[in-house]
Amino acid sequence: MVDVSRVQKELTECNRDREVSGVSIALHDGSTISHLTGTIAGPQGTPYEGGTFVIDIRLPGGYPFEPPKMQFITKVWHPNISSQNGAICLDILKDQWSPALTLKTALLSLQALLSAPAPDDPQDAVVAQQYLRDYSTFSATARYWTEAFAKSSSTGMEEKVQKLVEMGFPEDMVRSVLKSVNGDENMALEKLCSG
Amino acid sequence: MVTDAEEVSPTASSSELEQEDDDDDCYLSDQEDDALEESVLQVLEDERDEDCHWSSTSVITKESLLAAQREDLRKVMELLGLREHHARTLLIHYRWDVERIFELLDQKGRDRLFSEAGIPLQPANNAGSPSSTEVTCNVCYDDVPLSDASKMDCGHNYCNECWTGYFIVKINEGQSRRIKCMAPKCNTICDEAIVRKLVNAKRPDIAERFERFLLESYIEDNDTVKWCPSTPHCGNAIRVKGDIHCEVECTCGRQFCFNCSSEAHSPCSCVMWELWIKKCRDESETVNWITVNTKPCPKCHKPVEKNGGCNLVASGYAVVLLAEITHGQSKKTEQARRNLYRYMHYHNRYKAHTDSLKQEAKLKGDIQGKISISENKDSKIKDYSWVINGLNRLFRSRRVLSYSYPFAFYMFGDEIFKDEMTSDERELKQNLFEDQQQQLEFNVERLSGFLERDFQNFSDDEVMDTMKHVINLSNVVDRLCKQMYQCIENDLLYPLRTPHNIAPYKSKGLDRASELNVCWDSSEQGLQPIKYSQDEHKSQPGLSGSSIFGKRQLGSSSNNNGRPHKRERNDAHGGAALFDLNVPAEVADKI
Repeated sequence: MVDVSRVQKELTECNRDREVSGVSIALHDGSTISHLTGTIAGPQGTPYEGGTFVIDIRLPGGYPFEPPKMQFITKVWHPNISSQNGAICLDILKDQWSPALTLKTALLSLQALLSAPAPDDPQDAVVAQQYLRDYSTFSATARYWTEAFAKSSSTGMEEKVQKLVEMGFPEDMVRSVLKSVNGDENMALEKLCSG
Repeated sequence: MVTDAEEVSPTASSSELEQEDDDDDCYLSDQEDDALEESVLQVLEDERDEDCHWSSTSVITKESLLAAQREDLRKVMELLGLREHHARTLLIHYRWDVERIFELLDQKGRDRLFSEAGIPLQPANNAGSPSSTEVTCNVCYDDVPLSDASKMDCGHNYCNECWTGYFIVKINEGQSRRIKCMAPKCNTICDEAIVRKLVNAKRPDIAERFERFLLESYIEDNDTVKWCPSTPHCGNAIRVKGDIHCEVECTCGRQFCFNCSSEAHSPCSCVMWELWIKKCRDESETVNWITVNTKPCPKCHKPVEKNGGCNLVASGYAVVLLAEITHGQSKKTEQARRNLYRYMHYHNRYKAHTDSLKQEAKLKGDIQGKISISENKDSKIKDYSWVINGLNRLFRSRRVLSYSYPFAFYMFGDEIFKDEMTSDERELKQNLFEDQQQQLEFNVERLSGFLERDFQNFSDDEVMDTMKHVINLSNVVDRLCKQMYQCIENDLLYPLRTPHNIAPYKSKGLDRASELNVCWDSSEQGLQPIKYSQDEHKSQPGLSGSSIFGKRQLGSSSNNNGRPHKRERNDAHGGAALFDLNVPAEVADKI
């Protein structure tokens, strides 16, 4: 069975410096420790900058002796991540996994993968080919996908605006604040209340 | 064995007849020595021919599996100064190829050789933290007393519980042979003793599996050892030393090609055989249909379908008309047609011989019956071993003949060797080969004819006459087989740009793998039995040095007048009988 105490320690450890590392892990629905959700911030200087990527994490019974199963929930345009289903091609999630690695190190590796794609060992052949042959188009597509899928501002923005407007805040203010906090509804509310 | 040697008749002619019934006829008595000198020389020459294909086979059973790898382990341990588990790790990594390890040792140097295989270069220094009594396990993040943690050779230390959990997962995944240390990017292979100890404490069943996997690495990760392909599996594996292109018989009776594990198919190469099997499967329906539904056109000999009407028409005008219609067809279909007929030509002959082979058992039974009638007859001829020997020669040569058809199909076709020969060259070689093949076929059929005679009703003179023919023809057929192989190997396959190997011709039938018989105690003697089992007949330099062996092989070969060579079964329990190895046990017992 999954080593519960180790996973709990891992969660605490990972979330302690989430601001610095840009990665965090939470229980998926609270009922089981073997289903988690991770988030990573798109690394700066890449087409993924500014995006928040959600990753579905499932811990097999043999965890930590078997690697965790990770898959992108957020759609990503990347040579090593399937544009169809978010499957990831990364060695440490397969044969190079070591029990001394953690979920945090795995997420950090994913973050590193976003900065440094390995098109020679692709998961998504179409993306990899584009990356190699026409980098500018690749980069534009990746940026567009980040914009479209990885920024909470874009997903349900109108709903959030409407919700905050209904609370009594002026619409233009709501829009600018939401934009400044990257679409985070709660932070926007805090900001609106304080300011 | 030596005790009843005197009973053997010293004269050459009668010893020919009585060879079968004595254990010791392989020893040359002094009288025979001079008389047979000439044939001895002949035999030596033959052996030289077979030298380039030298290979010897042994059976590895569950029981001898450990002993079989002992030798390699010991060699590596002694010469590289390694502990057993490191030696095993090295051998597994390099697929149990000791020679290659020493070659690489020269090329790469010790350090690279070891680190690539996952052996730590120097023993971990234990100076790590002698003062503290506790250690934090980096896997479960618990602090555990030092006594509850284990350190691998690379110096990485984790708690025993984590190690155990890890080992069990890995063994269940089937990775027993190369369990790496838990530390990230650490290439070191875990000490099998620690694995054994920890896993055994928690899951003895899994520890047992680990042990078995480790042992079976000698078969699974080794190019010179293969599982016997028998179903249901006999549990044996076969080890070949020398050329791996050979055919072998397991002690369970299964005969197979060592290289590709399918049925023995020489002189067909493995590549050809695979293609042929596939082709036979794909084309069988087409060919069956043509055989059943068509008749050859009397004019052009193409098969023509008769779709209705009475049979008389088949030889008359209508069919000729049909044939004429088909004569004017486009080139493409013409080519496809030609290909199909070409295939059918070879397939029919191949099939005819394999079908005859299927009658083996029946024919053998019939002849056994005739022999027992003859033996009980009031006649001075009592020895009918020549019949059985001739029969075995017939089966062997029929086998060669039947597989020579798929060989020819590919050798002179476009499938594999399209650009290897010019068409003139091809024609020349094909004629050369087919000439030999036809000669062989002709003589095989003659031998078959003589063997099917009802010799039990013959007078003594007629029996003697038949015997002479059978012995003569056996000789001729054996020689023709040998010649055909020489033609195949030297004239056909050797000039090819891409090497194409076949299992060599074995005059005495397939090599039967000898039992592996290894001494456990003394390190030097451990090697001896294996050498012994490499068989008296293989004149590998340095192996058959002992004079008694030398004499034995000459004796057994020179006594043999067109008879298959006899080989000694390597029976450790004494009472080893000499018999023709292609005779099944039940037949051999009756002789």
